[in-house]
Amino acid sequence: MNFIAAVQALVDEGADFVIIGGWSAILHGSSSVTNDLDICYSRQTENLKRVTAALTPFHPRLRDLPEGLPFIWDPATLRNTAILTLSTDLGAIDLLAEVTGLGSFEEVKANSILVQAFERDVWTLDLPALIRAKRAAGRAKDLQVLPELEGLLEANKPE
Amino acid sequence: MKTPNAPSQAQLARAEDRLRHPRPGSRIEAAQKFGIDLSLLIEKLRLSPAERVRVMHDAANAAEQVRGAARRKRP
Repeated sequence: MNFIAAVQALVDEGADFVIIGGWSAILHGSSSVTNDLDICYSRQTENLKRVTAALTPFHPRLRDLPEGLPFIWDPATLRNTAILTLSTDLGAIDLLAEVTGLGSFEEVKANSILVQAFERDVWTLDLPALIRAKRAAGRAKDLQVLPELEGLLEANKPE
Repeated sequence: MKTPNAPSQAQLARAEDRLRHPRPGSRIEAAQKFGIDLSLLIEKLRLSPAERVRVMHDAANAAEQVRGAARRKRP
């Protein structure tokens, strides 16, 4: 897996996106491990082109689709789906147009911070928003990371 | 949207102190009781976001390389 290359490709293509999920937790100091890269992206027409262009070299295909079934990777596919779970040459990448507990991309971006990582400047959810999203997602793997994230939030709280 | 400054040495020291000595009833104490290794959080907080990504990326790739190795070695 090479998520650094995936993030760099998206930034270099000028895509408007926010890193959410496990890699956002890692950016905030979580010691949890993640197997995929979760991205929330803008559905603006130009951005859909940028996201597809950035990831095309890495041969995205649907993870939950049997091998051999046709899958068209283009801006229209991205526009018409809320969640795409992809396998790529760089690893598993999940693309979300909105985030449970936060809302649309615009709301996600409004609750994000700019950090230097992946050898680029990237947007990621701020810690309170990440906690809200994890709590709203409600799956066991999301809830499991909550005590750690809440501990980090408390540790970093101003006096 | 925010572009926060890197935490100061004083902020880092305060966070580290809170993690080393969790207040009774605090979220940090709850995390410890849940099983979170707070020393790992201290270690991660000392790193920049870029360093956290690099460390985790290397660890994930190392895990990927050995995944299933024990099963393959079984006689």
